[in-house]
Amino acid sequence: MTFSDSIHSAYKGLSTSKGRSLLTILGIVIGIMSIMIVMSLGAGAQRLILDQVDSLGSKIIFVSDSRQAGGPPQPTESLDDRDLTELRKKTNVPNANLVLASAFNAQRITYGSEAFDGAVQGITPEWERAFSLTPAQGDFISDDDVRSSAKVAVIGYTVRKELFPGEDPIGQIVKVKNNSFRVIGVLPEKGMLALFGYDQSIFLPISTFQNTILNAKNYGNFLIEVDDEKNINATVEDIKQTLRFTHNIQVGEDDDFEVQPQADLADRLGTITTGFSLFLIAVAAISLVVGGVGIMNIMLVSVSERTREIGLRKAVGATNKNILMQFLIEAIMLTGVGGIIGIILGGLFSYGAAQAIKQFSGLEWSFEFPIQGMIIGLLVAVSIGLVFGIYPARKAAQKSPTEALRYE
Amino acid sequence: MKPLIELERVSKIYMGDGFETKALVDATLTVNKGEFVAIMGPSGSGKSTLLHVLGLLDRHTVGKYLLSGRNVENLTDDELANLRNEKLGFVFQSFNLLAKETVYENVKLPLFYSQIPKKDWAKRVNDAIAAVKLDHRKEYLVQKLSGGEKQRVAIARALVCNPEVIFADEPTGNLDSVSGQAVMDTLRDLHEKGATILLITHEPNTARNAERIIRIKDGLVVGDEKVVDRAKKGEAVK
Repeated sequence: MTFSDSIHSAYKGLSTSKGRSLLTILGIVIGIMSIMIVMSLGAGAQRLILDQVDSLGSKIIFVSDSRQAGGPPQPTESLDDRDLTELRKKTNVPNANLVLASAFNAQRITYGSEAFDGAVQGITPEWERAFSLTPAQGDFISDDDVRSSAKVAVIGYTVRKELFPGEDPIGQIVKVKNNSFRVIGVLPEKGMLALFGYDQSIFLPISTFQNTILNAKNYGNFLIEVDDEKNINATVEDIKQTLRFTHNIQVGEDDDFEVQPQADLADRLGTITTGFSLFLIAVAAISLVVGGVGIMNIMLVSVSERTREIGLRKAVGATNKNILMQFLIEAIMLTGVGGIIGIILGGLFSYGAAQAIKQFSGLEWSFEFPIQGMIIGLLVAVSIGLVFGIYPARKAAQKSPTEALRYE
Repeated sequence: MKPLIELERVSKIYMGDGFETKALVDATLTVNKGEFVAIMGPSGSGKSTLLHVLGLLDRHTVGKYLLSGRNVENLTDDELANLRNEKLGFVFQSFNLLAKETVYENVKLPLFYSQIPKKDWAKRVNDAIAAVKLDHRKEYLVQKLSGGEKQRVAIARALVCNPEVIFADEPTGNLDSVSGQAVMDTLRDLHEKGATILLITHEPNTARNAERIIRIKDGLVVGDEKVVDRAKKGEAVK
């Protein structure tokens, strides 16, 4: 009996009970589909995060408070004016082109009776050049504004759309935490950069932000641009030494800040999303095991129901191996078909999910077809057929022809 | 002429928990090529055991069995399966057909396990179906056929590999007399064309279709005689 004959006879065996075969593979379909969706969304999230981090450029080093538990950097007592001044000294950090300081806060922004829940960011004039934040209308924050802690604001595209529909915002007054700020500029649509939504933000001079929103002279984080990529490691060390000195950290004590080059941050975020995806895949794998046990169960029922057929096949010349192969191929076919259906549904659902995320979150989410997931899914499906099919198939093969023919 | 089947003091003993059952005791017989032999005996006499041993579906416990001169005692399961495929054909009381397959597919089944080249399959299947006069039913699902037709499909399946001997185990047992006679007529036709047939039955009328009757009782061969008054074709079997 050739292999194609075995496949043919396995197909015939399965097609006699199509409904049952379909129900049997449901567990496999759901398992493979889940793996596909998780891998696709995981890859999409990873791509989004990495693109965002990459968009800053590879010469950027982040400095933040190490005592924070992730999330957007909040102003803390860790980073202050003295740190900024020392970091800006060429004697301390010789390869720094630019040292930017910022502080961030989620706040409700109001204009008259209109309100918008967005972000308020304290910045310096250098941000205009560093992140191409030239206003579409009006002016950007100036050195004078920072020096005098002027109560002025540059607003993002969405803030303008929500608070000033059909109205010129320049010169109008917006309020944050009962403080009034005069709008001096409006940014064009910027989307996201480093996972920060510029369109949903308003920007204040850093000093104004510290005085009105924060009530403290601290910063959330520093962004340092290095003159050349090859100086990144040396600059990281320079920054650490400078901050350990300003923070008065003794030898043997841990840093109370964190210094991360862009590449490290990308790696770390990548590891987090991969870890999370693996966890979800492990959960999905449980359904595959359950599906596999279901396959074994149904194959045992099938072997029992078809005992006389097995006896007949043996009587007309089937060897034990022929029977083993027939039932094993049936099991693999079941799981393989389940795998293919799972892959197709998984692909469709993850495409749908990617579109929905893009639509409803406004993120720059891209659909990633999980080719890895597809290959893994198919291999796993076939392996499940093999592992859970072998016991019923062996049982079938070992039946004695006379007993099988006598079976009622 | 060299005998096709030679059985010398063959016994089949089933071992149970602390007891043994002798289903066949010291059976000695020969069957020559081209013979139509009926093995007759009451229910439980051991005739099915004899058929299973002769048909290589079961191994005998002691004694010697030569099939076409070849001692089958030490053959592996796979070698026995190949011998069944090449040399033996089976017709069972309950037909044992694949109900959801066509007549054609059922008759083709043994070819899957044979060494016969695929290009010859169609001719062999068609010839076998023609031999049992079921050409007009070739594409029918067997579950749509009458009992007699089903048994003729089983006979065609037994013929398709051109076996040296056909074993028919109570082939008319599940049929009415008319269908039963049609099946017996088919077997007689095949015999007249040279086939060797071993028929198992407990019905004297059915046995009269054969040219020789071996009687078996309590596992022992108790008689072996030529049939003098052989049934005529078309005569009722029950």
